[in-house]
Amino acid sequence: MYPPSLVVTFTKKSSVKMAKLTSLFVISLSFFCISEAVFEDQVGKFDWRQQYVGKTLFAHFESNTQSSKKMFVATDKNIFASFNSRTGDLLWRHVDKTGPEGSIDILLLHGQDALMVVGDGRLLRSWDTNIGGLNWEAVLDTGSFQAACFVAIQDTVKLVAVLKKAALSLHYLSNGHQKWVENLPDSDAVQYQAVYSGGEEEVYVLGVVPNSHLTIIAYSLEDGEIIKQRSVEASWLSSVESSCVVVGQGVLMCVDPATLALYTLPIQAEETPEFSQILLQSLDLEVSPGFQPVLVSSQPHPARSPLSEFFLQLGPDHHVLLQLNADGYTIAPLRDFQPAFLVSFATTGKKTVAAVMTPKNETACAINLFSVDSGRRLLDTTVLFPLELNGGKPHALYVHAFLKKDDSVGYRVLVQTQDHALTFIQQPGRVVWTREEALADVVTMEMVDLPLTGTQAELEGEFGKKAAIQDGLFPMVLKRLSSQVTLLQAWLAHLWKLFYEARKPRGQVKNEVTIETLSRDEFNLQKMMVMVTASGKLFGIDSKSGSILWKHYLENVQPNAAFKLIVQRTTAHFPHPPQCTLLIKDKDTGLATLHVFNPIFGRKSHIALPALPRPILQSLLLPVIDQDYAKVLLLVDDQYKVTAFPSTKNVLQQLQEMASSIFFYLIRSDQGNLSGFRLRKDLSTERIWEVVLPTEVQKIVAVKGKRPNEHVHSQGRVMGDRSVLYKYLNPNLLAVVTESTDTHPERAFVGVFLVDGVTGRIIHEAVQRKARGPVHFVHSENWVVYEYWNTKSRRNEFSVLELFEGTELYNSTVFSSLDRPHLPQVLQQTYIFPSPITTMEATLTEKGITSRHLLVGLPSGAILSLPKMFLDPRRPEVVTEHSREENLIPYAPEMPIRTEWFINYNQTVARVKGIYTAPSGLESTCLVVAYGLDIYQTRVYPSKQFDVLKDDYDYVLISSVLFALFFATMISKRLAQVKLLNRAWR
Amino acid sequence: MSDRIVDGVRKHTPSILLFFDESPFSLLWLWLSTEKRKQIKSEKIGIILYIAMASPGGQGGGAVSTRGAGARRMKWALELSLGNARGRGDRQSNQGDVMYPIGYSDKPVPDTSIQETDKNLVEKRCWDVALGPLKQIPMNLFIMYMSGNTISIFPIMMVCMMAWRPIQALMSMSATFKLLENSNQQWLQGLVYSVGNLLGSALAIYKCQSMGLLPTHSSDWLAFIEPPQRMEIMGGGMVL
Repeated sequence: MYPPSLVVTFTKKSSVKMAKLTSLFVISLSFFCISEAVFEDQVGKFDWRQQYVGKTLFAHFESNTQSSKKMFVATDKNIFASFNSRTGDLLWRHVDKTGPEGSIDILLLHGQDALMVVGDGRLLRSWDTNIGGLNWEAVLDTGSFQAACFVAIQDTVKLVAVLKKAALSLHYLSNGHQKWVENLPDSDAVQYQAVYSGGEEEVYVLGVVPNSHLTIIAYSLEDGEIIKQRSVEASWLSSVESSCVVVGQGVLMCVDPATLALYTLPIQAEETPEFSQILLQSLDLEVSPGFQPVLVSSQPHPARSPLSEFFLQLGPDHHVLLQLNADGYTIAPLRDFQPAFLVSFATTGKKTVAAVMTPKNETACAINLFSVDSGRRLLDTTVLFPLELNGGKPHALYVHAFLKKDDSVGYRVLVQTQDHALTFIQQPGRVVWTREEALADVVTMEMVDLPLTGTQAELEGEFGKKAAIQDGLFPMVLKRLSSQVTLLQAWLAHLWKLFYEARKPRGQVKNEVTIETLSRDEFNLQKMMVMVTASGKLFGIDSKSGSILWKHYLENVQPNAAFKLIVQRTTAHFPHPPQCTLLIKDKDTGLATLHVFNPIFGRKSHIALPALPRPILQSLLLPVIDQDYAKVLLLVDDQYKVTAFPSTKNVLQQLQEMASSIFFYLIRSDQGNLSGFRLRKDLSTERIWEVVLPTEVQKIVAVKGKRPNEHVHSQGRVMGDRSVLYKYLNPNLLAVVTESTDTHPERAFVGVFLVDGVTGRIIHEAVQRKARGPVHFVHSENWVVYEYWNTKSRRNEFSVLELFEGTELYNSTVFSSLDRPHLPQVLQQTYIFPSPITTMEATLTEKGITSRHLLVGLPSGAILSLPKMFLDPRRPEVVTEHSREENLIPYAPEMPIRTEWFINYNQTVARVKGIYTAPSGLESTCLVVAYGLDIYQTRVYPSKQFDVLKDDYDYVLISSVLFALFFATMISKRLAQVKLLNRAWR
Repeated sequence: MSDRIVDGVRKHTPSILLFFDESPFSLLWLWLSTEKRKQIKSEKIGIILYIAMASPGGQGGGAVSTRGAGARRMKWALELSLGNARGRGDRQSNQGDVMYPIGYSDKPVPDTSIQETDKNLVEKRCWDVALGPLKQIPMNLFIMYMSGNTISIFPIMMVCMMAWRPIQALMSMSATFKLLENSNQQWLQGLVYSVGNLLGSALAIYKCQSMGLLPTHSSDWLAFIEPPQRMEIMGGGMVL
């Protein structure tokens, strides 16, 4: 609880003592400045973490008993994870490499073993599903992966077959050893796409020469010898994978969308077989126009042949359950499901059922079980799946069926929706849990202040300017009285609630945060996190608890779309609701759309949006506000014309007045072109400068300006002789980072250009030779910190650039880039950092008084809070009186990483992609959100909590001492009086 | 009058003792600060301590005050019994059993008419008062040297005391003038007195300056510089 000045004195003292022992000095300094590791009892008090896995590609349930709790998913983020199906919590999770190297091709589950092919057929892995440990890993031969299946020998599954583009290999399930590998004949011409084993002595490989013929090869399980090789004429067939399944006793069932017919072919037939055609028309079935029919079959056990029943999807919401008759080429329709979104087979014991999801009404879907043999609906199996208003449509259905005690079939169902959410539903229609897996890929986010409480807001409204003008004196007095009464009421209600909750046992008291109860806290520490995910789903998350308060799914968002989130109006302008605008740009067409919403409730605002017929290049948020207090957003299209939003008369008039002082810059990385524009009065623009960095030599990787909400309290730095070195605080400064196109270690370089965004003047140019990206950098105040890979010394290095104006200010009242004759003094220093980094951000506080820290995301998942003090180009090599006076740490090339600097202790954040910092109402406190695969929220105190009493402040002791002193004074006063009186009598 | 003379006697002891006498804590401080800073040689400390211990000022002052208090307690008393008179004091016990009438004193009544020597005494006394602040200056210089320029609690207390005393003295100038009323050179003495105090406060200011407590550098006004206003609005970025 020391004021900062006192802390400084202490460090100064320590510096005097330990000047000789530099290392000791650094330790002591760090002890004084950054002893900010949490205590054990603070774990989870101010921070939370949520772990995600991404979009589910494969999902399996552990076993078919009612009590089993585990389920396994493999996702597009290259993650294999296990959930507790009762709670939805992660049991364990394996995060593999990103990109195609770690992509999961297939996940097969048998008993305790989970088989996985990883990296397009690079590796075959077996996991123990109980504990999530790796059983074995086998490296497969090269070649792209096609298919895999279990192979059983005499009713027990012992092998797994992996089909690659040109080879088939069999591996033992127990240890991963290869039983045999065989090259596929004629693999250049034939596309082998499927492998099938039905418990016989052979394993069949199906390949197709598109629009010509189908090839079936049977391999002996024993030694991999080709037993049979057949070629069947099939000029209509283009792909086995998409249009064929195996049903019944080894019958290949194919559907041809052109002729609208089903084709059957017995795979195991001895003589050269023929496809037999069954027209869909003959079964009274009709395909929706333009729809490619899809077949769905099921093989409950690898040692047995698949079911003879199968689904045929005829339209987006039309499925038919069909049965292949025993003769092998006639088909009987069992039941027609229309409408039905999704179907799925599930097997328990000997029984196989089909789960069908049908729309019920606007807000719910019904899921029913049907007996596969007869197509009859099973009684009491209806489960309702609630459809959210702004959620995605159901996308996949994973059914966990089990036998109840009375031998009837019970089930639970996992529904995956288009927005990557997973919902687990239990009979009779209870949603057990929901996981919002879209949050595994957050693209951008903002933190918005919560609104005042209802009563507070009412007060604000009542005593606003407008009200004062409208009403007279007397009504105002009445209003004041009534509002005081409401405040009293609220206070009493609060007291009553406290009293009521105090009586309850501790566990039951839950501070449920709902949208209705949201209100700003005393120090504005609780905010609304608005997160935009790559799937196009928006989330509003309470920063205190991490609970999702609203979600909104934007359909028709392209997977590679670019997003830009802008806060146009904050909560400060009651009664106008806060307003956020999301700019979504389609990468293919270049066209942009705007989604305007209220960030507190997530509701879409009904505001007239500007028509954007042309591709949008960039946007620019002006500090100009319209009469509704919304900041004006300018959208620049590909003809450099500007559209204003909102574009009321008032705004346009303001724009005309200010046009000459509005500038914007555009950077085209592909052309190596930086150009600056000035706004004209008619909202067209003129190009005023252009800088070209030849793309043959270097390419622009990133550009960062300063954050608009950043405040710098101190305009300079105090030197040892008590003069001031003024900071060069150019609000228009841009840091442009380039990387060389030549990646040879000797010739590679990284360039950092500091460009004035208004005039295009290059203020400074720093080229780091023998360096390579990826470059992570932070640009703030008067400094730029960047990190790169030094190819010569093979290490990561931090470099810091700091700009100073000198000991005199050129103009202390206004800053204009157009009137700056002197270039700033630039200081630079470089340090070795012992770890690669994934992202970097600087802390941000309300007034900028608190010292700054850099938050560095490490690949290990830790987030390091590195004091900016260590990255100071004025760190001296030789300690002098002045440098000691300034508290400068002597230069040391190595930058330390101390484990107590990890703000997330053991709560690692997998694949940190970005760190967002926001100021809170307390100057000492900065809110931090790290996102990537996981989301982690915490608070940091770069200069410790100088403005708050400590958590463990001893109120009882202090108040008891105060009371004791008070009473002691009273008593001694009384005693003194008595004594005086007695003396007077003597 | 007798008290003042006692004071006058005490004035002959070194002025450092006066300082010690007036703030007994400062001895403790001096000890602590010397111990801490290790700047003063040990002989110096020895000397200071010797002087401090040898000073009779504290004890003497105490004795006087006790006697005074005793006198105050019994403003007057009739001592009629002979037995009691024996213990009253040297004078009476020496007289034995001779009984005097009430109000009789064997001591000659002092001559109350103004004499030349008294005039000189007043004059001297007034000059003492006037020169008091000036006499303190060497002492203050010594303390300043001892306390050093670090900013911590004791030097700050020192400086505050040094600055406050002259100010206090200047504020109570009228009382001092009343004291000097009887002197012929009243105005000169008043001038010397105030100059001494002004010098004292100047010394304190100099000390503040050397400790860096005065806002005389540009860095002291840094916190009040407002961030400059932006003339241009700029934004943009990479083409989305």
